[in-house]
Amino acid sequence: MNKYAIIGFGGAGYQAAKEIRRLDPEAVIDVYSDTDTGPCNPMLTTYYVKNAIPYEALFPFGSLEDIRRDLRLQVHANRPVTGLVPGERKILFDGGEASYDRILISTGASAVMPPIPGLDLPGVFKMRTARDAVQLKKRLDSGEIKSGLVIGASWVGIKIVEDLVEREIPCTLVDGAPWMFCVAAFEETALRAQRDLESKGVRVACGQMLDHIEREPDGRLTAVMRGGDRFTADTVAVCIGVKMNTGFLRDSGVAMNRGVLVHRRMRTNFEGVYAAGDCCKALDIQSGTHRNIGVWYNANRLGAVAGANMAGCPAEFDANVLVNLAHYLDYDFISIGDVSACGPEDEVYEYEDEKYYIRAVRSGKQIKCINMTGTADSNGIVKNAFIKSIEAPEAGLDIKTICFLKGKGFPDGFINFLGGKSLD
Amino acid sequence: MKHIFVFDQDKCSACSACMMGCLDQNDTDLAAGDRCFRQTFDTEVALEDGGVHCAYISAACMHCADAPCIAACPVGCLSKDPETGFTVYDNTNCIGCKSCAMACPFGAPRYRASDGKMVKCDGCNIRVKNGLQPACVRACSFGALTCVTEEEYKAGGGVKACSALIDQLGLRRR
Repeated sequence: MNKYAIIGFGGAGYQAAKEIRRLDPEAVIDVYSDTDTGPCNPMLTTYYVKNAIPYEALFPFGSLEDIRRDLRLQVHANRPVTGLVPGERKILFDGGEASYDRILISTGASAVMPPIPGLDLPGVFKMRTARDAVQLKKRLDSGEIKSGLVIGASWVGIKIVEDLVEREIPCTLVDGAPWMFCVAAFEETALRAQRDLESKGVRVACGQMLDHIEREPDGRLTAVMRGGDRFTADTVAVCIGVKMNTGFLRDSGVAMNRGVLVHRRMRTNFEGVYAAGDCCKALDIQSGTHRNIGVWYNANRLGAVAGANMAGCPAEFDANVLVNLAHYLDYDFISIGDVSACGPEDEVYEYEDEKYYIRAVRSGKQIKCINMTGTADSNGIVKNAFIKSIEAPEAGLDIKTICFLKGKGFPDGFINFLGGKSLD
Repeated sequence: MKHIFVFDQDKCSACSACMMGCLDQNDTDLAAGDRCFRQTFDTEVALEDGGVHCAYISAACMHCADAPCIAACPVGCLSKDPETGFTVYDNTNCIGCKSCAMACPFGAPRYRASDGKMVKCDGCNIRVKNGLQPACVRACSFGALTCVTEEEYKAGGGVKACSALIDQLGLRRR
């Protein structure tokens, strides 16, 4: 009888447990979690704040007790793992240790709160956990918040902006980068997104690096920027990114580059030790390098792949590409591929009509990055075409994909840019 | 018993009767901006050899065996019906984030104009469970669109594949 340990129980951990149970019905599966809740989807926190979902929906796979029963798990709730001896496949926790045949590291990521003065003041918050969401919702529901400042035009930052705007709370968004969504958007795309936000009453200031936060005599908070600009509001959201929860692996010998490095089958540099989800860097099929792609879908698929391999069934996730999707205030933006890989020598395609904005870059037949707005219904079709262009750049688009794209109103020029041909 | 939609392009004339069946069955509100779950295409596609392919296609959700939309949905709205194998949904908690559309290579999920919630082809699950054909299949006069069980598909598919191979290799006796 095989013994498995799953360290951390978010989407990746859950999917791994489910797959192990499916493939190894007799297995002993121990789950170590630093909470006593079911797996929480961090992406849902801002939707809970805006009353789009009830609290229970933050846990899409159900309660920890239900999952424990259904998957026949041994759950160690509120027991964070403090260390790992990978060569012996042994885990350490407060007051004990345990050895296993195979171990999964799926500890996820946490919101970054850098050591900047004032970030610990009451009224300054982050957004990642169910507790964060409950606290913000309570404050907004109280009616005390008359103005908000969001620091970081990140994927969660923009959703907090939406939460504030929908409650008609004046809001300012500041970011240290020269333009919004800098890790995924071309400047041309970002400027359109910024104009749209400003038309909805949001003040946007880019190129603003936070120096510190201080409290005003009237109780409000002021973010003082390195350049001297000051932004004052009743509450401040700090949304400047995440860090991978790998501190307990320090000096363990597990290969890391901030995140745990894994090969195609999610194994680390140690036999029997795997990693998946937001704590790991898996192979990005576009660059061939290790990247953390913090998307719910990827975390789930990587977890399932890890679980299958742990249970002795070889599997790979062959569609791990950089994708960023933002949907807020009736505006849709997607970036597919690596914007940082694009250079001045590359070929650029740009298109705009009343519905779509598209900017795409390729080198030869290799597409590097696509930005689109207003295309949400079709994003999967284009993403699939992008993945195909990596796997088989000479193959071009299949007829069905061409028909789908034409049916959705994409211009022939874009279809041709993606590798297709159309006559209509 | 898993069910599979089979589309025979050679028999399709893109008459859109399947769309009409789908619209009627699902009470799709076109005036409100909603779109039919099933789409037909009558498209000329240029080929590498300079020729032209006239594509007549009817397409909706493919009800993939390992449907990526299910893993992509952050609130768990999508699932497989164990009886029919169709990809079905309960959009009570749908947040309209469009992650399912990002995962679907066929553009199957739609967003209802009235509330922004995801809706999609469910294979006419309730009809099939009650022994009926999906509405689109029922409406197809040419037999281009059929819905068969996995067993029927495997049995029929082999014959069709062999026939195509015989044609491709020029071995059919005239």
